[in-house]
Amino acid sequence: MTRRVSLAIFAILAAALFLAYSAPAQQTAAQSARAKKLGNQVKCMCGGCNDAAGSCYHSGGTFSGPCPMALDMLKKVDAHVANNDSDSATLNAFVQEYGPLVLIEPPKSGFNLTAWIMPIAVPLIAFFAVWEVVRRWRHRAALTPTAGPTAPAVPHDLLERVQRETHKDDA
Amino acid sequence: MDIAGSFALLLAFVVAIYAFLAGIEGIRTRRSLLTKSARNAGMAVFFLVTFAVGALEYFFFTDNFSLPYVAEHSNRALPGFYKFAALWAGQEGSLLWWSWLLSVFAFLALFTNRKKHPELMPYVGVVIAGVQIFFLTLNNFVANAFNILGSPDANGVMHVATLADGHGLTPLLQYPEMVIHPPMLYLGYTGFTIPFAFALAALLGRYPGEKWIHITRRWTMVAWCFQTVGILLGMHWAYAMLGWGGYWEWDPVENASLLPWITGTAFLHSVMMQEKRGMMKVWNVWLVFTTFMLCILGTLLTRSGAVNSVHAFAQSSIGTWFVGFLAIILVVCFLAYWQNRDYLRSDNQLDSLVSRESSFLFNNLVLLAACFAVLWGTLFPILSEWVVGSKISVGAPFFNKVNVPIAMFLLFLTGVGPLLAWRKTSADALKRNFAWPSAGGLFAGIVAFVFGYRDFYPLVCLILSVFVVLTIFLEFYRGARVVAAREGTNLLSAVGALTMRNTRRYGGYVIHLGIVMIFIGIAGSAFNKDVQAELSVGQSMTIGPYTILCQNFDATANDNYQSARATLEIFRGGKSQMMLYPERRFFPASGETETMVALRSTPLQDLYVVYSGRSPESGNPVIHAFLNPLVKWIWFGGIVVVLGTGLAMLPNRRTALVLASVPEKSWDGTVAAGAPMQGVAAVARRADAHD
Repeated sequence: MTRRVSLAIFAILAAALFLAYSAPAQQTAAQSARAKKLGNQVKCMCGGCNDAAGSCYHSGGTFSGPCPMALDMLKKVDAHVANNDSDSATLNAFVQEYGPLVLIEPPKSGFNLTAWIMPIAVPLIAFFAVWEVVRRWRHRAALTPTAGPTAPAVPHDLLERVQRETHKDDA
Repeated sequence: MDIAGSFALLLAFVVAIYAFLAGIEGIRTRRSLLTKSARNAGMAVFFLVTFAVGALEYFFFTDNFSLPYVAEHSNRALPGFYKFAALWAGQEGSLLWWSWLLSVFAFLALFTNRKKHPELMPYVGVVIAGVQIFFLTLNNFVANAFNILGSPDANGVMHVATLADGHGLTPLLQYPEMVIHPPMLYLGYTGFTIPFAFALAALLGRYPGEKWIHITRRWTMVAWCFQTVGILLGMHWAYAMLGWGGYWEWDPVENASLLPWITGTAFLHSVMMQEKRGMMKVWNVWLVFTTFMLCILGTLLTRSGAVNSVHAFAQSSIGTWFVGFLAIILVVCFLAYWQNRDYLRSDNQLDSLVSRESSFLFNNLVLLAACFAVLWGTLFPILSEWVVGSKISVGAPFFNKVNVPIAMFLLFLTGVGPLLAWRKTSADALKRNFAWPSAGGLFAGIVAFVFGYRDFYPLVCLILSVFVVLTIFLEFYRGARVVAAREGTNLLSAVGALTMRNTRRYGGYVIHLGIVMIFIGIAGSAFNKDVQAELSVGQSMTIGPYTILCQNFDATANDNYQSARATLEIFRGGKSQMMLYPERRFFPASGETETMVALRSTPLQDLYVVYSGRSPESGNPVIHAFLNPLVKWIWFGGIVVVLGTGLAMLPNRRTALVLASVPEKSWDGTVAAGAPMQGVAAVARRADAHD
């Protein structure tokens, strides 16, 4: 019994130790994923490329990877993440430092919100405009008299023959 | 030679002005000799600009560095292959290239139609000459490639200076595809001038009938095909050269090439409404106008530096000229439309919302929505700067978020459109046509979901792709079955016969198939992986199923560049598969370094390896490996699109009408043997040629 209790205590302690060591590692992985995501939301401000800091490859440079400016920005991202700053606080800090140009996407506020609204609003307006045009067309088509007795009559036997032969072809 | 080239260019400008003015006068006075003279002048521009282009190429090949343009874009060590391509490496040369390609198209349009459409062609000649005057103005007075280094002395005598060597071609352009990609793209841009000229000419001359729309469609297909090839080659160049693992970055210059392609695509669909039902004439004319204006806008974005781009190789203040030209085109188009709007009245109305016509309408709407979204995102940084006073970035994530849903809807319509009948589709036909493709698409989606592929857009893309492919195969199958039964051939030959009888329709389906392949390839990017690691000799790294073992690093040099190369052995499942040699090249003439990517490409995935250089921190060599699924489908899809376009441009093989001796009953019921009669079945068989 004593041996079983000792084994159980040992197992619990081992599990606790494992969790104690693995928990910070998971936290670091999560932080790393978050830092990667944030790094891709800010633009490398070196002026020589149009890449996100997180995926700067700096074409034409001596090293095809993050340039010194991108590395510096990524270190700042890491610092914010380690500090548990929220995403918006981190991005705001970058805007404070580099201006709105640093954000890879237009901010969803003020005039820049129109960047997001217009690609949805304009097609919607166009859709309703087309819908209205179609509705009018159909209305006009309904008012247009259909071919009446003046239309040239197709001989009945010829029509039957055409239907018979085309039907045979389709079978 | 520089004087001869420059003089040829000046003469081309004068001749283009003559073609323009004489053409107008010929139309006004209806003097056919004057009209002919204007046409011949239009064709002569081609020979003069060809001479100028030849002269500039001569300077490149003879290393004549007394011309700043040659000195800036070439050097003695540059291989001849790239000396040829250096012509369009900078502003002056690329504008000259524009003029030359335009003169080629102009020559072809004027020459092939010299005995046709006498009422239309004079207007066409005038419009083309108008466009040529603009570009030749730039070539002669704004960005002249024949300017020479030197300065006049006190007596006004010019002393020419010559540099010992040039600065070399930008390394980004020193890649085989860059010798083909820009000409293809420019062929697209300039090619759209011809449909524009025909559309504007038909409107100005109130050309009767629908003939002009057939001509416009054919020229649009040619330009559209070049534009497609140009865009795809550009994507492949970006993929194989830039070393970031992708092929489309939503860069403003990339976007600029996509815009006229989208409106051109819209036109190629909606033009069928006009040809078949006499509808959407105003829409079509404006689509052609817009496509041409977007070509000019694209050139403006590439050349002016109005927006930041890695592709804008030559930037200057030339944008003002393009803005002025765009304004003139807009005014001319609007006035021509306003004066002749009654000429564009529709012959028919839409009968039903569930019809081929409405599917074209919505297809056009979605395409224009995509065009607007791309244009809006591209120009928004400028707009924001005007309004708010600060520039903002509109990067790839924005374009992806906005355009992916639009693209999915477009893919859906690609499948739906061909299944709907003209005028009206019955509920039975809908059920019959949609049941199998929908079931197939959903089944594929469920299988993918079960196997763990659960990202929303790739899953939707897969479902829709299977749906579209099945609709296309069903269309081929149904048509081929009828032909096979009628002619007693096997199904495969029946597919060939069916396709050749209506090349436009079935060529269109092949294009759709290619587009689906491109969509599948793009959807694969959702599953991209990459690993970057410092790798010394003997060390290895793993990505997906591959292990990359570093064997060696070496360095070589030639007159043009110095190369640092990694030798990597690729293992899969413990077995050696192949060697890869990613490279970095340093070009002393320009002082720039470029990557040469090494690829192991299969239909399932690409192993894409970049030698990133030595780490700035540790000094160790760094290898960046990417695993990009399905990329090859994009390039294959592109080839299928081009083949489909070629097929759609072929003339239909006509069904032979055989006058057979058919026993026919006479009025009294007896059989009159041997009376020739055109069989009703033959007439009915011809009726199956439909779009």
